[in-house]
Order: sequence, then structure tokens, then C-alpha cells
Amino acid sequence: MEILRYVSDAFVVIGIFFAFAGTVGLLRMPDAFCRMQSSTNISTLGLYGAVIGGLLKAISMIVEGYELGWTMLVKIAPIGLFSILANPIAGHSIAKAAYQHGVRPEKEFVCDAYGEDEFDD
Amino acid sequence: MKKTSFGAWLATFVVCAAFWMLITLSLDPQMLIAGAAVSALVALFAGRFFIHESPFHLLNPKHLFALLGYALLVFPIELLKANLDVAKRALSPALPVNPGIVKVPSKMKGEYGQAMLANSITLTPGTITMDVAEDEQGQAWYYIHWIDVAEGTAEEQGDAIKGTLEKWVGRIFE
Amino acid sequence: MTELTVFAAIYVLLALLCMIRVAKGPSVVDRAVAADSVEILTDVALVLFALESGRGIYLDIALVTAILGFMSMVCVARYLEGRL
Repeated sequence: MEILRYVSDAFVVIGIFFAFAGTVGLLRMPDAFCRMQSSTNISTLGLYGAVIGGLLKAISMIVEGYELGWTMLVKIAPIGLFSILANPIAGHSIAKAAYQHGVRPEKEFVCDAYGEDEFDD
Repeated sequence: MKKTSFGAWLATFVVCAAFWMLITLSLDPQMLIAGAAVSALVALFAGRFFIHESPFHLLNPKHLFALLGYALLVFPIELLKANLDVAKRALSPALPVNPGIVKVPSKMKGEYGQAMLANSITLTPGTITMDVAEDEQGQAWYYIHWIDVAEGTAEEQGDAIKGTLEKWVGRIFE
Repeated sequence: MTELTVFAAIYVLLALLCMIRVAKGPSVVDRAVAADSVEILTDVALVLFALESGRGIYLDIALVTAILGFMSMVCVARYLEGRL
């Protein structure tokens, strides 16, 4: 199954592209909240591209007759499942904490509904 | 503090036992019995934190197929679109960002639906849900940090952010 | 299967680039977010390296690193909110 290996490589390359874009955004974006948006880029498709590519690689190992492919398959899948459940919670909590801690961008927000409603001082 | 119901205990037990079998990867009876004992004990203490509403909501085939369609078809397309958008912003030389925090209404009812919609919004790059608040009428509002704020009323901004996600999540947790 | 080694090396390189933000980020939030990104990128490198070398033990380590990264992010967030 040569074709399965090429498809899995293509998925990993897509993941590398998005991880690269996220890293560049993390280094270039002007303020902390925009950097969070770029880091979401890494933790979604930068991760899932490689995880889906790894799953397809494990399937190709099974097709070629290696027993090890099954171990890989049942252990890579939970990593993707856990990160799709947990990463948004971490992102949400760190964004809220950043706002309450007093992190503000140098350039003002276009509109700031949260500050008006929750912290009207 | 709420007491652990039997349904919550059973659901937590199944998740814990599945995780144990995943880590050990053996069908040896000794391992299985030890894992079941530890899982039962953990589920007794942690069940009430893990399950808040109906634990077997997804066993209804209608909800399960809605979840599968959402997770395998609708959400990946939204994710890809949002990822391409943010990647384009990060890589373009002019760095076109226009960040702000907007307040949009949500039609979801119940904790699970709220949490799933908020997490879906956070998971798509370009939008992060910062807080969920309810006003006096019971209407839920999301405070969302948005990397490129569009002009408009709260409803129009909400439609631009949520897209098709809200309809599908509503179908799962109706 | 040598291409997986190259991919894993690229991911590790991107993780090292994220370390720049960890080093110079002006606020603690920048450092925390960048450190979380480093954790995710090393996680992916571990998955790819496990497939390359054919050892399942790396995948256990990747899963545990993912859980620890999530826990530590939530702890940092709660500490900044002043609720810890």
C-alpha cells in the first residue's frame, strides 16, 4: 500500500505548514491575545495533521502485516481525542485569566464589551 | 453537594476502565480485575464532578448520528477555513489584525450545549470565548475575543462567528 | 521510513523557535502560551518518532505530556486569577 504512505505524508506536511504559520504568528503578532489566536493554529491543525498522518501510517503498517500497527493505532487516537477536548478549555481559561490579570494590548481594542460589563470602574 | 447518582457512577467507571485497558493493553484477568477495582473506587468519588446532566444522552441514535456528522464533517470544514484565514494573517507582511472583544447571544439551553458551543468557538482559530454570562431573562451571552472584528449588531456578529456550528450543536443537545 | 525523522526534526525546530517567545515575552501570559505551544510541538514530535522507531512506549509518554501540559495551563490560569 504505497499510496496510503504518500497520503499520510501529505497530512503530516499540511500539519507542518500550519504549525509553521502558528509559530510565525506567535513570534510576530502585536499583543498577547493575538498570540493566543496564533497558538490555537498550532494546537488544532498543526497537531491534527500529524495525528491523522500517524493514524494512516499505523493503518498502512497493519495492512503490510506488522502487529505493531494495532498498538500504534489505539494509542495515537486517544492523544488526538484528549487534545480536542482539553485544548479549548486551556485556551479559554488562560484568556480569561490574562484579562483579569490586567494584560492589555498597546493598541486599544476596537470594542471591549467584556471590560464594559464585568469591570466597570 | 450533590450525591453521585448510579448513572454518573457507571459512566465514569466505563471511561476509567477503558483508559486503564488502553494504558496496559492486556487482557490478562488479573490486570482487568485490578483495573475494575480502582475504576470503581475512583468513579465513586469523581462521578459527581464528571457527569452533571443526563449521562446517557448520547445513547439515543438521533443524537449520536448528529454528533458523528458534526465531528467528522461540519466541524473539520469550519476548522480548515478558520485555520487558513489565521495562517494567512500571520504570514502576510502587513499583519492585518483588528482585535476586539464582542458580546454575542447564544440560543443554547443546558450546561453541555453551552460548553460544547463555547469550546467549538474557542477551538476555531481567530475566536476565543472568554466568558459565558446569563442575564435576568435567562439569555446566555458569550464574550468572544475576535481577531478581525466586523461591524454590525450583536446578532450579525454572532452569525458571523458561529456560522453553522450553533444549528448542529443544537441538534445534538436538543 | 526516513521521512518521519525529517518531519519530527522540523517539529522540534519549530518548538525551539517558540522558545524565543518564552525567553522574551513581555508578560507571563505570553510565556505560558508559548510554553504550551512548545509542549504540543514536542508531543507531535514524540508521536512521529514513535512511528519511526516502532516503540509504543513513546506514545504513552506523549499522552502523559499532553495531560500534564493541560493541567499546568489551567493551574497557571487559576493562579493569575487569584483563585489558587
